[in-house]
This record gives sequence, C-alpha cells and structure tokens, in this order.
Amino acid sequence: MIRTSQTPFVIDRRATLRWIGAALAAGQLAACGEKFGNDDWLAPQALTGKGVGKDPDLNDPVVPWPLTMTRAELLAAGALADLILPAEGDAPAPSKVGVPAFIDEWVSAPYPTQQEQRALIIPGLAWLDREAMTRGNKTFALLEEAAKKAIADDIAFADRVKPGMEKPAEFFARMRTLTLGAYFTTEAGWIDIGYPGNKPITGDYPGPTPEAIAHLKGVVEGMGLKLTPV
Amino acid sequence: MVTLSSETYDAVVVGSGAGGGMAAYMLTRAGAKVLILEAGRDYNPEDAPMLNLARDAPLRGSGNPDKEFGFYDATVDGGWNMPDEPYSIAEGSDFMWWRSRMLGGRTNHWARNSFRMGPYDFKPYTRDGLGVDWPIAYTDIAPWYDRLEKLIGVYGANLGMENHPDSGPGVLQPPPKFRAWEMFLKAGGDSVNIPVVPARRAILTRKIDERSPCYWASSCGRGCGIGAAFQTTTSLLPWARATGKLTTLTDAMVYEVVLDATGKASGARYTNRKTGEQHEVKGRVVILAASTGETARILLNTRPNGRSEGLANSSGQVGRNLMDTVGSNLSANFPALEGRPIYNEDGAMGLHSYIPFWQYKEVAAGKFNFPRGYHVEIGGGFGEPGIGGYGGFDGYGEGLRAQVKQRYGARIGLTQRGEMIPNANSFCEIDGEKKDRFGIPVLKFHWKWSDHELNQVTHFQNAMKDLVGSLGGKITSGLDAPVDAISKGGEIIHEVGTARMGASASDSVTDSYGRAWDVDNLYMTDGSVFASKAHKNPTLTIMALSMRASDHIAGRLRSGEL
Repeated sequence: MIRTSQTPFVIDRRATLRWIGAALAAGQLAACGEKFGNDDWLAPQALTGKGVGKDPDLNDPVVPWPLTMTRAELLAAGALADLILPAEGDAPAPSKVGVPAFIDEWVSAPYPTQQEQRALIIPGLAWLDREAMTRGNKTFALLEEAAKKAIADDIAFADRVKPGMEKPAEFFARMRTLTLGAYFTTEAGWIDIGYPGNKPITGDYPGPTPEAIAHLKGVVEGMGLKLTPV
Repeated sequence: MVTLSSETYDAVVVGSGAGGGMAAYMLTRAGAKVLILEAGRDYNPEDAPMLNLARDAPLRGSGNPDKEFGFYDATVDGGWNMPDEPYSIAEGSDFMWWRSRMLGGRTNHWARNSFRMGPYDFKPYTRDGLGVDWPIAYTDIAPWYDRLEKLIGVYGANLGMENHPDSGPGVLQPPPKFRAWEMFLKAGGDSVNIPVVPARRAILTRKIDERSPCYWASSCGRGCGIGAAFQTTTSLLPWARATGKLTTLTDAMVYEVVLDATGKASGARYTNRKTGEQHEVKGRVVILAASTGETARILLNTRPNGRSEGLANSSGQVGRNLMDTVGSNLSANFPALEGRPIYNEDGAMGLHSYIPFWQYKEVAAGKFNFPRGYHVEIGGGFGEPGIGGYGGFDGYGEGLRAQVKQRYGARIGLTQRGEMIPNANSFCEIDGEKKDRFGIPVLKFHWKWSDHELNQVTHFQNAMKDLVGSLGGKITSGLDAPVDAISKGGEIIHEVGTARMGASASDSVTDSYGRAWDVDNLYMTDGSVFASKAHKNPTLTIMALSMRASDHIAGRLRSGEL
C-alpha cells in the first residue's frame, strides 16, 4: 500500500511531538539527523520499587508497580510487535491483544531481569524512531510497511545483521522473544497455537488420540525405529 | 524474656513438612499428644490457585525474586531470597538455601517425584569405598516404603530394574499413559539402550479418603486443593488433627532445644515471627524436622553449658556432609515431532515417564570415571505457552507465526538428577557475626562439587547426545562445560546430610532411628539424617525414615522409656 501525504496522523503526530520534547529534555535527540551507531544507547535509570512481595494474594493478582512507557514508546513497540507477528486469518495482531501494554508492564517491573531488558528496550525504541526519522522523516509507527521492513531487514536476521547495527539487532531479538511470549500467552494466542489444556478431565488420563498415535507410528517407523505404546 | 507454656506434650515436633508431618501423623495415631511448631504461616490448600490463568498474573506469572517459581507457586513467604532471614556464603562458594515458611513446608510445591532408594544406595561405601554406609539396609526400610506408598498414594510401575526396587503387590496406583512425545523418546531410547519407563510420583490416580484423583490439569507446584498431589496439608496434618491429639502453632520459629539438668531434651524455644516474643514449650521427646539446614542451625545454636560445638555434636558432624542433588539441563528440538496432531498433553503436569540410571553394571566394572548414578527427568509436549522459550527463532513476519506453530510440541527438556558424594568442602556452620531479624545467628554455607559430580555431568551430556541423535534431534542448549552446566549447591532443593545417621557415635550424629547419640530423647526426622544423597529425590525416603523413627518413638513413649 502506498501511503499518501493525505493520510491523517494527527493524534500520532501529537504523540511524536511529545516524544521529541521528552527526548530533547533527556538529551537523547542531540544528534538527530546524524548517523546513530551503537554508542548512542543511553540506558535509562533502572527502576526500583515495590514488587509483588513474598506473599501476595494468589487469587487476586495485582501489578503493583507503575507503568512507565510513554505513548511514543508504546506506539513504536506496538508497531514493531505487529511487524514481527502480523495478523493472519483469525489471529489478531499483537497490538490488538495488549502486547504493547504487557511490554510496558514488563519493562516497568522493579526486578533485575526486567531492568536489564529495559536498558535495551527503551533506548531501542528511541533508536527505532530515530532511524525511522532519518530514513523516512516519520516515527516508526507511521512509516509505510515497506520502510518498516527495510529497517527490520537490517537487524532481524542473525546471520545478516548490517555491520554497525549489532545493538539494534540485539534489541530486535529481545522484542521478538518478548512479543512472542506476550502474544501466545493471551487467549487469542492459545487459540492460534492450539493449546488444548488447563481443562480438568474426570477419569484416567486419556493419552494420545488415535490420530496422534497413527501419526507418531508413521514418524517413528519412518526413522527405522519401533513404537511401543505404554 | 521467654514465656513458658504450662502444658507438657508427649512430643514437640519442629516443622510440618514431609518429616514433621509424618511424625505428627504417626505419633497422634499412636495416641501421643503432639505439638507442631511451624516457623511459617498457616496455609489453606483450598486457596491454591489451580487453573488460574498466567495471563492474569503479573509478568504472565513468570518467576521473579519475590516468587521465584512464578506468581502462582504455592510457596508463600519463602524461597531462596528472604530479606529478613539471610544466610551467608563462604568466599569461593556458591549456595542457594531454599526456605519454606508455611504449614506443610516444601510438600506444598514439590514435584512429587517419588523414587525409592535401592540396596546399593544404602551401602555406597561398601560398593565403591566413598562416603559412608547407612546403618540400615534396603531390607530394613522396604516395608516402610510399602506402607508409606500405600498411605500417601504413589503412581508407578514395578519394573524389576537393578537398584530401582519394586513395591509390594497392590501398593502402587496405576500410572498415567505416556504422551506421544514420551513414546517417541522411548523409541529412541530402545534403539540406544537407554530405558524410558513409567515414573513414580506421589499423585493419586485413584481416590484415597477425601483426596480426589488427579484431574490432569494445573501445575502441581501451585499446590493441589483437590488433594491429588500429595502434600501434608491435605493428608497427614488433617489426619493427625482428626485424632484430637494434635496442636499446631504457626509463625513459631524454633531457635534452640531446651535441656534439663540431666542433659535430656525437655522442650524447645521459639520466636513468634509476628510479635518477636519468645516462648518455651515442653515435651517428653523433641523431634527436629525443620529441614536439613534449619535443623543443623537449631542444633548448632543450642549451646548446652555454653559449649560452642552445639548440641548432639560430640562427633563434630553436625552441619557437615551437606549434599544436594547434581543437576543440569539440556533442551532439544526434534524436527520429527514438528507439526504433529495436537491433543491435550497436560496429563499429570510432570513426569509420566523418566530415565532411571541404567548402567550400574558398567559403574561396578570400573568403566566410568564417576562412581554414582543419576536419572533423567523429561519434559515436553503441548504445554501451556509461557513468556519464555522463544530464543530459537529468527527473522520476523508471516513466516515466523508458522514457525512457532510448527515447533509447538517438538521440544523435549532433559534434566539430570544425580548423586553427590559428601565432601569436606561442603558444609554449613554458624556465622559468627550475622543474625537474622529475630536475633538468631544465621548459617554460613561452604560448597564445592568434586570431579565425581562433574564427570557425571559429562556422561549425562554424552548419553543424551546419543539419545537425541537417535531421533534426529538437535540439542539447542545446555551443552556447556560441566563446571558451568552443573547446578549451584542448594539449587535443586534436595539438601540432606547435616546430622547424618550411622552405626557409631564417633562419626555420625544419630542412630538409624534419627535418635541423637548424645541426647536420648532428641530425634531428627528430616533430610538431615541422610548418610548419602542417592540420585533418587529425597522426599519419599524422608517420609519412610520418619515413619520408621516415629513408630520407634511411639513404642518408647508407650513403654514409659521416654
């Protein structure tokens, strides 16, 4: 699809402006328009604060920490997640099932693992928008599909990362694992992948279906081995 | 100031997990008046978040420093990381000390894997000259295993395998069917002589009393509100309570044993974890089942007449011989399992099958550079998608979704669980300076694996390469150098050995009943009494030993000897 200059993006532009303001305040946009290399990744200060605690109410889960991502970051994260795992058939796009909000929950959690990833993801999202600005004069979320893919193609494939883009590639890989994890844990994700469990069954465990056994038998015998149902 | 309780119990039991719960059950059934002191809080297994959705929990329910095994894990107010109850680690050592501060202890969340120790496991020194023998043989404990398995409910099969003893007739409950990926693994195992056989777990497949059989969903680690997966809070404790003979005090953190003028145990002192107040309770017999580390801590912190070596420690063995299971993990992908028909593989949410150690003959023939065995616990199938496990994917876009779905159910995890031999570098002692928030001196851990364990990891890795290779699979993670692949001490949460039993007071802390050589009415019925750490998961044996010890104690109470 060719984007035209008439395509409205008022709300998004406002968000972008806010992002530019925030980024300028943080000194992160000082080199806007120049080449952004691996050295420009300023890790945000690690978040500390209250976690879930040692004895939370397991039947009334609460996320006790404040969410911290800006709207611009959420937009960039959602656009990237949708590029990583686009909608297909009945399976919705990640941004339609709360993946960006979960990424916010994740990077805002006051735990070492999450803070280590935050130090990669937050500057990564800023880099993504800077790169989009440099290449297409728009934030990443507003780029055309082809332009988004052009950026992703430089960083998404482990064996052909564009030289000098190792850090963005690391960011992309982290966003991929996080997007997949966030997505397939949703109800839509369970349906799409086909997870059939978490359902109580009375009586003995039924074991594999006849179809599953027949398939397995073919596979195992095809390898020259023998299948013994137990 | 210590408040003295007026009541005298027949037995004061410290801890309500596998060892303490069993002691309370056996003694109350024998008519004894029992007090359980549990350091943790009260816990109602009906609150277990069974079937609750990971997506409703923070971080999709994944583990974090507050809830290390995930948000819904049954362990509350405990774990490796407890800011109010620190421990220290000697320089150059690495150790993780799991605490379970709740009624029922670790039994609320364990994997329920229940493998009997075998004849070789009780006489390891006789077999290879390393470590020490137990003061009992397998034949002494076999009847207790039978009685125990029947009581708590264990599924499994009698296979007639070397050093993997069969149960008596009619003891075991029927095991669940293998899932397709387990049959697949068995086909490969058969081709390279690695057995994949039905596992044994303390999970009901047939009803016992009010306990329902497994309904084939919900991780056992969350606790089992229907009583299918064994935990003392749905079985031994309510059964003991039903006798009217059991009193349970929670938040009662025992810090020392009280002795009378003749040197006999007269009770225990505890700190109320909520109020900080100190109390003393009296009993004709004192039974420590506080967990291996905590039992050693209580003994070492009890200083009769100011003796710095602690209580029951004339042998100098208290705190020594600390052992944990050898652990390492491999993950493998199998193209042959990709795209197979999906069906519900939750099953018993854990082992239906496993790989028992299969090469005792080769070990005995001196063919290996490691003396003791291991077993392999296996995991896989169409499990609930988690937040992690997507590291193996590349690229993006349309093809990625198809790839994820293609590989669903094609991964098998292979987990080594091996025997460690006690060594002089692995022990705990009282830290001379550090105290917890109750003012109780904390433990300091020393830890070192030896080549016995590291070489065992190498064997595991090579054997699994053969197995995975026989099925056209590829090991995707875990093939690190053994020194990196091996677990940290305490990480497998199978600590044992700090008050080991033996045949002589000179080199052991207790006799075969867990009775302290130095104090006639002081018993240990937790993992601390283990003389060796077989590769078999310890909980079943802790309970069998506690059952045997408690029967002996009941006899002595009845005869007036105590």
